[in-house]
Amino acid sequence: MAVQLRNVRKAFGTVQVIHDVSMDIASGEFAVFVGPSGCGKSTLLRMIAGLEDTSSGKVSIEDVDVTETEPAKRGVAMVFQSYALYPHLSVYENMAFSLRLRHAPKQEIEEKVREAAGILRLEEQLHKKPSQLSGGQRQRVAIGRAIVRQPKVFLFDEPLSNLDAELRVQMRLELARLHKQIGATMIYVTHDQVEAMTLADKIFVLKDGVVQQTGRPLDLYRNPDNRFVAGFIGSPAMNFLTATVTGREGDQLALRVGDTTFSAQTQEPIATGTIVTIGLRPEHLVISETGLPVKMEMAEELGGLAYLHTRRPEGEEIVVEWRGDEHAVMGETLKLTCPADKIMVFDSEGLRVR
Amino acid sequence: MAMITNRRRDVAVAMTLIAPFVLTFALVFLYPTLRMIALSFTDAPLIGEGEWVGLANFKRLLSDRLFFTSLKNNGYFVLLTVVPTTVLALAIALTINRLKGALQSLVLALFFLPYILPVSVVTEIWMWMLDFQFGILQPVFEFFFGKSIPVFKNPYWVMPTVAAVTIWWTNGFNVLLFIAGLRNIPTDFYEAAALDGATRWQMFRRVTWPLLWPVTALVLTLQLILQLKIFDQVYLMSSGGPFNSSYVLLLMVYREAFQLNHGGYASAIALILFVVIMVVSVLQFQLLRARGTK
Repeated sequence: MAVQLRNVRKAFGTVQVIHDVSMDIASGEFAVFVGPSGCGKSTLLRMIAGLEDTSSGKVSIEDVDVTETEPAKRGVAMVFQSYALYPHLSVYENMAFSLRLRHAPKQEIEEKVREAAGILRLEEQLHKKPSQLSGGQRQRVAIGRAIVRQPKVFLFDEPLSNLDAELRVQMRLELARLHKQIGATMIYVTHDQVEAMTLADKIFVLKDGVVQQTGRPLDLYRNPDNRFVAGFIGSPAMNFLTATVTGREGDQLALRVGDTTFSAQTQEPIATGTIVTIGLRPEHLVISETGLPVKMEMAEELGGLAYLHTRRPEGEEIVVEWRGDEHAVMGETLKLTCPADKIMVFDSEGLRVR
Repeated sequence: MAMITNRRRDVAVAMTLIAPFVLTFALVFLYPTLRMIALSFTDAPLIGEGEWVGLANFKRLLSDRLFFTSLKNNGYFVLLTVVPTTVLALAIALTINRLKGALQSLVLALFFLPYILPVSVVTEIWMWMLDFQFGILQPVFEFFFGKSIPVFKNPYWVMPTVAAVTIWWTNGFNVLLFIAGLRNIPTDFYEAAALDGATRWQMFRRVTWPLLWPVTALVLTLQLILQLKIFDQVYLMSSGGPFNSSYVLLLMVYREAFQLNHGGYASAIALILFVVIMVVSVLQFQLLRARGTK
């Protein structure tokens, strides 16, 4: 295991921010910690880096317990959200910084910096100061500084959040390419579930210092364990409606929302009359002759597809993905249905009823 | 058309806004300065007109031994204060920066406290503490040198003592500047350096020091200007003695102008000091800045 956490906790004073987290990240894996701000994802990353103490539990890197080891001796390199490039040093010197600290021979420094610069296409920028670079280039220098160290694990703390949208997409692809190219273990923290979905081999969804679910991106999307994960993964977010269980026929659970009946595929027993929450993804909703009546409010046109923002008479907003030419106009009433195998049922605790 | 009108109006507004300051500046600084320069070419007394004497005052300066003694003492005082106070302020700032919360504020306040005292109080405090017979610091001198030392009456001790008092008095402000500079350095830099395996010394040498250089250059330059203008402390503690060993240029200006009624000659000395301060500080700041951007 490249990185292993066992029952890790972190408290600042009396406030506990990480609750009993255990995780395994395999060698060469691209792991992403994702969650809303304040969920503890950055703290967890900093604990792996050694920049925060671990209150209790064990942190291992390549099967060596590093819980009490100082950051420099853990063999990790970190890319900061701010990039943390030294403004008084050139790109070359920034990348050579760690080697200079340990008085590496000139030859070695030159080789390693050139190699990293080659990978990141920074050869032309080596003599420049960070202030002369664009955001994307600075980002690459920050990554270059990590590569030069040849760490066991790369840590990224929201590295793309200071870039504009277009550059973010581009850097996302570059990071994915870089991971393939150097094959190192990487741990990446983000609040952006799109970044998590597109980059990760394995996603850890965090909320309030607790790992909600772990898995491959598509597994989390298709098979969330709870309402939080279901709502967090996927864009636009899943629609949630309150429903009443009205009966069961085999694996088909009958649910009523207002005057409309949905049927969902579940195995677990659940009593008739139970109030549950059902989750419907915008891309699974179908506009048909019969179904849940909603009123069209606004359309977000994206060219190939559109997101229709609709509202139930009871007030809940429902987003529907529409692929086609002409969609409904404002004020029109639509009827929505959803295939039974796509409807997710969550109990009153927010846990999935499968 | 509208654009032009607006621009004209902008200029008019700007002029109106800065006019009071320009007028005040002209009245209380520019005019006196020009008068002083004019005065330095005359044999005028302190009050009243004098005769044009050309460069006579400056020629006289060249043969005035007290002028050279004072000039030398000014230089000596600069050497004793500027760099030491900067180094000390940096060291104190680095230490305070490591403290947290209320303790940090308390210690910073303690170091800043002397700065808010008037110079007469400062000199009084130190003259008591260093008093030859009753000063509470005399046992320290006895411990190190075997005897009490009348520091204000001893030509070797007087300038270093005045320098020490000056540093004690003004250092808080420099500490404050350094603390502000240190707070401007993002913690990410130190965390990145820690991950890269930097020792404490390497962090200071490769991160703190270069990033703090602009503040250091500023402190050095401000100190240079301030310490070249030394007057109050010397006047209050030693009056330039003993044997003129703490005589400085402004003391000489004061004596010539207000005690001997030589307005013209005093102006000439003041003008020289003015030129020295301007040249040295501009030169120093340029040199320091050049080093910083290299």
